[in-house]
Amino acid sequence: MSPVAFFILSLLLFTLGALAFLFKRDLITQFMAIEIMLNAANLALVAGAKTWASLDSQVVVFFVITVAAAEAAVGLAIILLIYRQKKNIRSEEINLLKG
Amino acid sequence: MNEFASLSPLLILVGASLIILLLEAFGQWSKRWLHSLIALASLGGCAIFAATFWGKGAGYFQGTYTLDNIAILMTVLFSLAGFLVILVSLSYMIQHGFNRGEYFSLLLFAVSGLIIMTTSEDLIVIFLGLETLSVASYVLAGLKKEDEKSSEAAIKYFLLGSLASSFLVLGLAFIFIHSQSFSLKEISFVIDKSENSPLFLIGFSLVLIGFGFKVALVPFHMWTPDVYQGAPTPITAFFSVGPKAAGFLVLFRLLRPFLEPIFSRQNLQIILWLLSALTMIVGNLVALRQKNVKRLLAYSSIAHAGYLTIALMTQDGQGLIFYLLAYLFMNIGAFSILIALSPNGQEFHELDDFNGLATRAPWLAASMSVFLVSLAGFPPTAGFLAKFYVFSTAVRQGYTGLVIIAVLTSLISVFYYLRIIVHMYMSKQISKITIKADDPILLVVIFFCLYGVLQLGLFPGRVLTLIQKAVLSLPPL
Repeated sequence: MSPVAFFILSLLLFTLGALAFLFKRDLITQFMAIEIMLNAANLALVAGAKTWASLDSQVVVFFVITVAAAEAAVGLAIILLIYRQKKNIRSEEINLLKG
Repeated sequence: MNEFASLSPLLILVGASLIILLLEAFGQWSKRWLHSLIALASLGGCAIFAATFWGKGAGYFQGTYTLDNIAILMTVLFSLAGFLVILVSLSYMIQHGFNRGEYFSLLLFAVSGLIIMTTSEDLIVIFLGLETLSVASYVLAGLKKEDEKSSEAAIKYFLLGSLASSFLVLGLAFIFIHSQSFSLKEISFVIDKSENSPLFLIGFSLVLIGFGFKVALVPFHMWTPDVYQGAPTPITAFFSVGPKAAGFLVLFRLLRPFLEPIFSRQNLQIILWLLSALTMIVGNLVALRQKNVKRLLAYSSIAHAGYLTIALMTQDGQGLIFYLLAYLFMNIGAFSILIALSPNGQEFHELDDFNGLATRAPWLAASMSVFLVSLAGFPPTAGFLAKFYVFSTAVRQGYTGLVIIAVLTSLISVFYYLRIIVHMYMSKQISKITIKADDPILLVVIFFCLYGVLQLGLFPGRVLTLIQKAVLSLPPL
């Protein structure tokens, strides 16, 4: 298979993730949307490695996965904190700061 | 060239933050003087060790870590910022209920992230540095666990920050597909051969989104006011100085090969021009209707990002670094005054709380006025010279239109900065808030920032030659 197909798939996934982030109103779902976007970018990186027969971007994928895990740890803790305070995790109710 | 010792600034910081974490886990401490002492000592050591490599161009890890002169300058700047922020937060953290040792180690991790970002010319390492910084920052923003505003700042920063980093990763993928490398040097070789490839332009724009978010350029600035207002005040001071400086320095390195006049990369220049103009206009106009001074300073920091983008376009490294240094002193100074106005877990940061401050705490009011005047860009302060250098280079390179916008928006900014001074000096009613002006460490920091602002404004010669040396020592591309 040609790498172009993978690029198109990754762009599709990325757009889907971005749309989900914009239109969903639940913190966990929005966070999952971001994970989908990161993984779409990972797919593009792997496809790039295939195009050039180079390992550089394969390695980057591992870094990105690690970073995503670190972000998940911190992010879920923050979402938990929000839940303790408000008893829900709907993003439209996070509205103390504005102007 | 290839020296393990050149890693010492980073090793000191990371080692110190791990030691602090262990102390916190296994020690029984009610006062955290040892933690803060270790943190302060490691930041000082980091700056000193970095300075010993001045002019040597040392590096490690096959050139992905290069401690060149600019990186050394920035390392010193970040350590100074961290140092001042720790000093001003010593009493704040006790009074506002986040008296935990993790605070110091998170701050040290954030500073090491900043250093990693600025010492590398490899996009992967820059990305990893950015994430080290970001993950620590998300926690720092939400440190006041009982305060709903602080948690709100943390969740907003986290969601939008990770959104921006996913754009950044996709941009890296595009750049790799186009140029087969992550190293800025190799990318700039490839770029000569293929003018204006759409793949590269898309990748580059995505990377620009990622960093534009960190430095708060206008279409990506939505998080800034909320996070600045909700986060604990010393952390806000850190956010407004550290990530901004690192982001602009990375963008400076990133754009350097592509803005050479020979290439005349029209598309890129138009994008930057629009970003800069939008940032200046929106930042300054929205700041006009702010009633909360912390939020007002957030919009002012957006506006300053606009002026700094001009220095990026003209590739004026000297102007950029001088501006960042001046910005450090005036912003940390202004936020220290806000810390003096937040006693015992409360924060009095509304405009009306400043009423009659001049009669109640004349020294605080006078120093705040100097910082505000400097932010607005009046002589003889550092803010004036910084703007002057950046704008005059831009005029010389023919960006007259942009400079006219910059000067007009600076005039607008004078209005909202002076309004705070008017509240302090000319208001008839006097607010009854308690002021915490007896913390000697806080006063020392304020005095030091005052000294920095005036020293850079009146006698900038020494610092300027130092920065000039650093910029000239960059290898030609």
